Amino acid sequence: MTPKRQRVLFSLAILSWSAALLYFHASGRIVKYLAPDFRPIALAGGLGLAVLGLFNLLTAGEKADHDHGPSELNPWLAFLLMVAPLGLSIAWTKDEYSFAALSRKGLFDSPTASGANALAATRPPLTREELEKDHRRTADGFYEFNLIEIFLATGDREQQGLLDGMKIATEGKLAPDPAGEGKRARLYRLFVTCCAADSRAIPIALDLGGLPAAEVAAGGWAKASGTLTFPLEGGLIQPVLKVERLEPTAPPTEENFLRN
Amino acid sequence: MDARQDFALAFLSILFEGAPFILLGTLVSGLLDVYLPAGAMERLLPKNRVAAVLVACLLGAIFPVCECAVVPVIRRLVKKGLPVSCGLGYMLAAPIVNPITALSTWKAFEGQSPLMMTSGRLALGYLIAVAVGLIVLRLPVGKVLKPSMLAEPASSPDESPAGSCCDHGCGCHGELPAVSPDGKLVAAFRSALKDFVDVGVWFSVGVALTALFNTGIAPGARWLDQVAQHPAGAPAALMGLAYVLSLCSTSDAFIAATLDRFSWGAKLAFLVFGPMLDVKLTFLYQSVLRKRFILALAAGLFVAIGTVSMLWQFWLTR
Repeated sequence: MTPKRQRVLFSLAILSWSAALLYFHASGRIVKYLAPDFRPIALAGGLGLAVLGLFNLLTAGEKADHDHGPSELNPWLAFLLMVAPLGLSIAWTKDEYSFAALSRKGLFDSPTASGANALAATRPPLTREELEKDHRRTADGFYEFNLIEIFLATGDREQQGLLDGMKIATEGKLAPDPAGEGKRARLYRLFVTCCAADSRAIPIALDLGGLPAAEVAAGGWAKASGTLTFPLEGGLIQPVLKVERLEPTAPPTEENFLRN
Repeated sequence: MDARQDFALAFLSILFEGAPFILLGTLVSGLLDVYLPAGAMERLLPKNRVAAVLVACLLGAIFPVCECAVVPVIRRLVKKGLPVSCGLGYMLAAPIVNPITALSTWKAFEGQSPLMMTSGRLALGYLIAVAVGLIVLRLPVGKVLKPSMLAEPASSPDESPAGSCCDHGCGCHGELPAVSPDGKLVAAFRSALKDFVDVGVWFSVGVALTALFNTGIAPGARWLDQVAQHPAGAPAALMGLAYVLSLCSTSDAFIAATLDRFSWGAKLAFLVFGPMLDVKLTFLYQSVLRKRFILALAAGLFVAIGTVSMLWQFWLTR
């Protein structure tokens, strides 16, 4: 292959990476893949790759003052290795993990087995009055809590004491619990450090009791309201919400918990 | 079908996270290729070869780069005359010994002895990089660099492989010829294109493997719990985890901080080994280093970091 054709081929490979970055950014789908501080970097990267690819494509035939020899890689193989995994991934992605992958990321683990203790240690001590003051109360008497607050309370005996028996409402994605025989489900969100690959599930258990079949599809966003308890199950403390009402809700702008 | 969707999400997220940093590295390397005179880096470092390694391993504090971006930069700097010993020392140290990584480690371990973990990480990262640099100083360069990096014979056994930076051995950089600015720009972008593809191919393969491990890591997670309190097994297991997960050094501390079943020593091993060697780096290193040297480096890093981490843990708990 001539150096000019090789430069054209490599420019196209780089432009395909650029197009993927820019497309996911423009479509808003990037929020499912990267934490906020990495998104502008990805945008800058996409634009930079576009400049690099286009510049080399447009000047592929020009003589440079100092020209390097051809790449040691087979140009077609290099092109294939750069473009094929990217293309297949774009075709296959659904912007979310399956429940099988989520189970590997802690969806069905107890918070005490998922690092809640370490995270909870960073939190200041609170009183019941402060908790009630800091959380909005719905018209029917449920205090609105962020899911991760309940998750972290599992690693903090003091907070468990404050929250145990409290009527709370919280939001997350719904997952059926395979061991729950239809009476248990999980409400979860993902905690993302940098990108989806390093995400961990932040779950609580829902005790649906005799509640009629919920109108929330598995994987859909739900608002669960009920009484929070912290029973010992399988030797580990679990946050269990005894659900009185479960209703579909719109996903928040930022679906994942972020390190900031 | 589930496996495809899981692989795709992990693959794209790591690719999107890492690609801009590779671009940054290759653009810097392209500019260095065309605008930096041969031997300029050598002149910045002390004449004494041991002192040069000691200083090179601290350059990350001034030029902070993560492990994805550092490989293309090193490729070019070594070709431009940076001694191989200094290049490798910088390559291993820069992702750890830099202000961004120090800050993220501190933030991640707030409430869990941040000073101890941050200083321990920076100190061990620096010491290991210096040790590798000093060992490479005594090796023939042909045993370290892959043949394509050896465009021309080295001026001394441990020194740069090239008076020229070019694969084609043009020898045109000892004295840069008078050239037009446009021609230089084309050359810089062309150099960046070649470097990006050379590194991007290995990165793509490495990310694909990482995504496969990342989404199928469940059996390992249960096994990890069992070895968490073992004095030698815990650091070994976390170094293995760091290798598989291939996290960025600017953010891996946030994962380490949640591994609350593990000792400080095991977490330190995770934080130092990961930025120096992981799945994607194994592939990226192949654009610079000989495969046999990479194997020796991997074994050396594993043993050295594991041993120091165990001793550190022993000292903390005695």
